[in-house]
Amino acid sequence: MYSIIVVPPADASSAEQIRIATGEQLAFGRGEKAHGLTIAHEGVPRIAGEITAHRNFWLLTNRSEDQTYVVENPEGAGEHIKVAPGRTDAPVPFEFARVVLPAAGDLLTFDVWAPRHTFRSVTRHDVPGALTAPAFTLDRTRRYFAVLAALCEPRLRGEPHAPLPTVEQLVERLAPVWPTVSRSTVYWNIDYLALKLRLRPGPDTAQPTQRLNGKKESLVSLALRFDLVHEDDLVVLAAATGKARV
Amino acid sequence: MSSGRPHTVTVPRGYRIGRWEVGEPLGSGAFATVHAGRRVGEGPAGLPRRAALKVLPTGPRARGRRHHVRELAKREADFLSRLHSPRLIRMYETLTVDDPDHPDLDGATVLVLERAERSLDAVPRPVPSPGAVLRQICEALAHLHRAGWVHGDLKPANVLLMPDGSVRLADFHTAAELEGTHAWAPAFTTPDYTPPELLWPETDARGTRIRAGADVWAFGVLAHVVLAGSFPMPGGTVEARDDALTRYARGAEELRLSPELPQEWRDIVRDCLVPAHEHRVADAAALLRRVERAARTPRPRGWLRPVAVAAVLSALEIASSGLVYTTLGSGTPAAYSPPTCERPAVFEDATYGRAFTAGQNGTWDFTVRQGDGGGQVREVQCLLGHLHGISGPGHLHGTFDPPTRDAVITFQRRSGLPPTGTVDPATWHALRRARG
Repeated sequence: MYSIIVVPPADASSAEQIRIATGEQLAFGRGEKAHGLTIAHEGVPRIAGEITAHRNFWLLTNRSEDQTYVVENPEGAGEHIKVAPGRTDAPVPFEFARVVLPAAGDLLTFDVWAPRHTFRSVTRHDVPGALTAPAFTLDRTRRYFAVLAALCEPRLRGEPHAPLPTVEQLVERLAPVWPTVSRSTVYWNIDYLALKLRLRPGPDTAQPTQRLNGKKESLVSLALRFDLVHEDDLVVLAAATGKARV
Repeated sequence: MSSGRPHTVTVPRGYRIGRWEVGEPLGSGAFATVHAGRRVGEGPAGLPRRAALKVLPTGPRARGRRHHVRELAKREADFLSRLHSPRLIRMYETLTVDDPDHPDLDGATVLVLERAERSLDAVPRPVPSPGAVLRQICEALAHLHRAGWVHGDLKPANVLLMPDGSVRLADFHTAAELEGTHAWAPAFTTPDYTPPELLWPETDARGTRIRAGADVWAFGVLAHVVLAGSFPMPGGTVEARDDALTRYARGAEELRLSPELPQEWRDIVRDCLVPAHEHRVADAAALLRRVERAARTPRPRGWLRPVAVAAVLSALEIASSGLVYTTLGSGTPAAYSPPTCERPAVFEDATYGRAFTAGQNGTWDFTVRQGDGGGQVREVQCLLGHLHGISGPGHLHGTFDPPTRDAVITFQRRSGLPPTGTVDPATWHALRRARG
């Protein structure tokens, strides 16, 4: 049962995502180890560092002699942490993180996701004992939530059989609150939602558009069935314009 | 926060719903509030004066997760109208609030339920008669599983203790009917009671697949909590225990059960907590025998040691009870066989002194009556049949049927008790004192 996903850089020899479970460790560096993330660049040490999954977050160890690593939150408007050379087990609090390694003038990056970040209700009534909690936890401040809200919007506004928005329509709808949105970021967020909500992969179809539609359809019916998004949440789409589209 | 904000309604005191007047709040969960209810209107026979009113905000103008709450309310009402057992909380009726002036309340679903004394969560530790409590929970689960349902959220808060001390299972909004080997659960969990396969399960538009084995896992956790006072997984927070569970499920760590756990329960708890559901006990029906045996071990309630019989009984009574308390030879300590149904034995009870038990149950005050079932009823039947020679109950099936009631009345007449047919504390005393 993994809790951390390491996404190799796009140009890596193997683009396969690596999933690790709590307590497991993954080394990264130039070295060609059987179990590890290989970053083929002369400026990267043989063993540059390690990623350790811990509970639902992760720890970064910097094994380089003299390079500081930076871990960015790509959705965080410049939010980042620095991990000094030799630092062991620095905790990374981001659900999405981009690890930046300086290497002989280049900046190399790879991504690490922590989709099991959990959120629990703060408002507890006076109930003794353990509270039954929803099995899905979404962070309402993340972009994936805005994408999900936009996907569900037509049906939340009272048209139960409305056709789902196309990716182009989603881009248009999200642009006011998210100026840099693009088709690829929308695709990416849909894929990430499917992963985060552990959507069972649908039957394989040859047509990618059909596959995407199936995924969108499953996401929306799951989200509406379990009230992961309700009308009140559509404000995440209206923040910039101040008025809702009907 | 995310999707889990509780949106429950609080109903003002004195508010009328149908023939019920709303009283003080008894508890509140993620989706519902439960209030005390007093019947002020007439109703069909069998409707009690006091009830528990479970209010779910399902109205058109209720805030929050109403689609989902509606589904949960429907699930629970469906379940309770279809399954009946002395071990499941009873539902008397369902009502819908019609009150446009209270937008939060209008359209709310109200389940009128049997009123319990308290939940197992609210019982101070150590839980008295833990074996009897666990046996009854297992009986409830076994009944549920045999009927083709999974509870899905077994935990102490959902186990209710009735005024007479008996146990009922409640909160069926996560209950799901099995379709083959699994059911679709509404994707809610209580982390400490969740089996590894449901920690991060795949989902589809219908929710998460759940098997009866999930209840078996939760029962193992609950037994550990009740008997040892701690969770089986180490850690001070839910997250830490969740982490330990993940490691255990992966085989990276061993299961270390509390040394407080009584020996006779260790294997049961261990078998419930098998990480792979394919290797776990499939359902509670398969577990019940073992739980009954463990619960029967006459340890709770201060049964201390067997007593030399001749001191208390006449020779005739020894013969009829068939008690074996043999001296095997000079210098050899006396051996005894544990009490059985056919051979009730005399034990020293810390509170009540010397008395008989048939080894089915150690209670002195647990009231049972027609319609009940379980260990207490079996104890009554064994004592009636094999100690007092009243053969009414026939075979000892543990169900309080009319012949059992007749036998109880015969016994009560013989003992000079009011012939009510209900085994109350006075009847228990008479049964155990062997003055038949």
